[in-house]
Amino acid sequence: MPSHAWSAISFRRSVVTRVVAVTALGAAAIALTLSLFYLATARLRAANLADRRATTASVAALTLHDRVGDLSAALDAVTRNPTPRTLARWHGAARSWQGPARDLVRASVPAGGERGVATLLQAQIRSYISDYGELLIKIARVSRATARSSDATTEGATRVRAILTSTDALARRTAEDAVTRSAAAERLSNEATASGIAALVLTPILLVLLGIWLARTIARPLQQGVAASTALAAGDFTVRLDDSRRDEFGRLASAFNEMTTSLAAAREELFNRAEQLAEAERRQSELTSIVSHEVRTPLSSIIGFTRLLLQRDLPADQRRQYLEIVDAQSTRLAELVTDFLDVRLIQSGNFNLSHEMLDLHALIAEQAELAGAAAPDHEIVLALDDEPLVVSGDQLRMTQVLANLLNNAVKYSPAKSTVTVTSGVDPETATICIDDEGIGIPPEHRPRIFEPFYRGAAPAVGIAGTGLGLAVSQQIVQAHGGTLTFEPRQRGTRFRIRLPRANGA
Amino acid sequence: MAAAEPLRPLILICDDEPPLRELQKAALGSGYRYVEAANTSEAEAQLAVEPPALIVLDVMLPGKSGLEFLRELRESGHSRSIPVVVVSAWQSATDQQAATDAGADAFLGKPFDPDAFARVVSDLVSA
Repeated sequence: MPSHAWSAISFRRSVVTRVVAVTALGAAAIALTLSLFYLATARLRAANLADRRATTASVAALTLHDRVGDLSAALDAVTRNPTPRTLARWHGAARSWQGPARDLVRASVPAGGERGVATLLQAQIRSYISDYGELLIKIARVSRATARSSDATTEGATRVRAILTSTDALARRTAEDAVTRSAAAERLSNEATASGIAALVLTPILLVLLGIWLARTIARPLQQGVAASTALAAGDFTVRLDDSRRDEFGRLASAFNEMTTSLAAAREELFNRAEQLAEAERRQSELTSIVSHEVRTPLSSIIGFTRLLLQRDLPADQRRQYLEIVDAQSTRLAELVTDFLDVRLIQSGNFNLSHEMLDLHALIAEQAELAGAAAPDHEIVLALDDEPLVVSGDQLRMTQVLANLLNNAVKYSPAKSTVTVTSGVDPETATICIDDEGIGIPPEHRPRIFEPFYRGAAPAVGIAGTGLGLAVSQQIVQAHGGTLTFEPRQRGTRFRIRLPRANGA
Repeated sequence: MAAAEPLRPLILICDDEPPLRELQKAALGSGYRYVEAANTSEAEAQLAVEPPALIVLDVMLPGKSGLEFLRELRESGHSRSIPVVVVSAWQSATDQQAATDAGADAFLGKPFDPDAFARVVSDLVSA
């Protein structure tokens, strides 16, 4: 894949990106759950604090109520009888309200107006002590009757009532507040518990889902890859991975498939090569056998008869008979060598032809006469025009082809049968057909009869030969730009030579 | 004694090459009578006509091979004891062993010396 394609497409299709994205998503979800839980706890803590403060304020208001009562009672006692004991009680009461009052101011909610009321209450109490109580005590020291007059006591009672009304109102409000706060705190506590449980349940579920997704995305294709590689290593070249995914694993799978395909192809080729080599080897060894046998047979005659001639005193006519056999077998050996060299020449590709104008009709007549003389039991019939049939070619090689085909026709047909040669022309092609009435070529041998040294059924029926003639003939005709083919006849075989006609002929 | 001269021993020559049959006859000379066979079925037919004193057998024959023919001969009833000389172009140690295993009495490689061949045959016939 070209490197520039690694941008827009792979962003969405990259496993790395997807894993990072999904992990980030999971982390965000977990963080959200946890922060919701934290928020709930923080609010719970605030609610608890407010609850505690409301309770403190409520308690302080109630205490203050008592202290104010104490103060009023102590003042009453002092004005009745200003002794050091009552005075001490007054001074004590004038101090002991300050604690609860401070608590009340501190614990009351600034926004709710309670703090203002509490501060005002503090000022009222302070004013009751300094502007009324202390003054009344001074008066009492001078005249108890004046101090205990109805005017004086009425003002005191009014002040105390006002203070107590305020304190009670404040106490009621803070108590109500405390109840509300407490309820809120409990609600928030429930919420915090719920979100805690949700976080506890959701986090593992999310983690498990993430794990499953990772397994599906990464582990499964990896396992499939491992299984496929193992199968491949074990020699199963048909194994393929699913390459429909569009990410790295899809690309890996298609690369793996490509590799497997080319491995299989390479192996197939190697097998074929090995098979071809084995076939070549087999043919080579077959060739060696054939050559050594084909050479030994005439050599045995030559050597044997020569020794006989040398070792024994024989009559002249017998000597002549043996010498004729030696001559025939030497010729056969020479032909074998020539044919074999021709085959080697063709196989090596150094097959040079001369090009001269040839009259095929004349060549056929010549070779038919030679073949007829060698096979007096056969009749060779020529059905040719009187007109010359001119082609351009190598006379020696073309003669070789005609001689070979005529000799084959005789060799593979019974005595007293006829071999017929016909010819035909069209503007481009000269055709020669050589028909015999022989044993024919069995179908199973037909595909191979032009192979060097292939002799088909000939050895089984005792027909001699090297198996080279047809191979050489076909190569020669093809080197002339023509074809050599055969077709079975009702009885026997027809061999057909087609050659391109010489220009201007 | 004016009786006819004793019948000369009959030699069956089985080889697909006519010149080699000719050579074998020439090498053995006129002390024998000869019948020829170009393949094993011809040889079998000759056996039925008259059992020879000795068989000269080629290995590479069209159709059934010489050694196969020899093996069957050694398993047959009446002609199992006829001496057989195997003459073959195949003459490696393995080929000779195969001929011996099939029941050959002597083995000669091609090309062979006519006199040596004649000695082997005469020894086996007179034994």
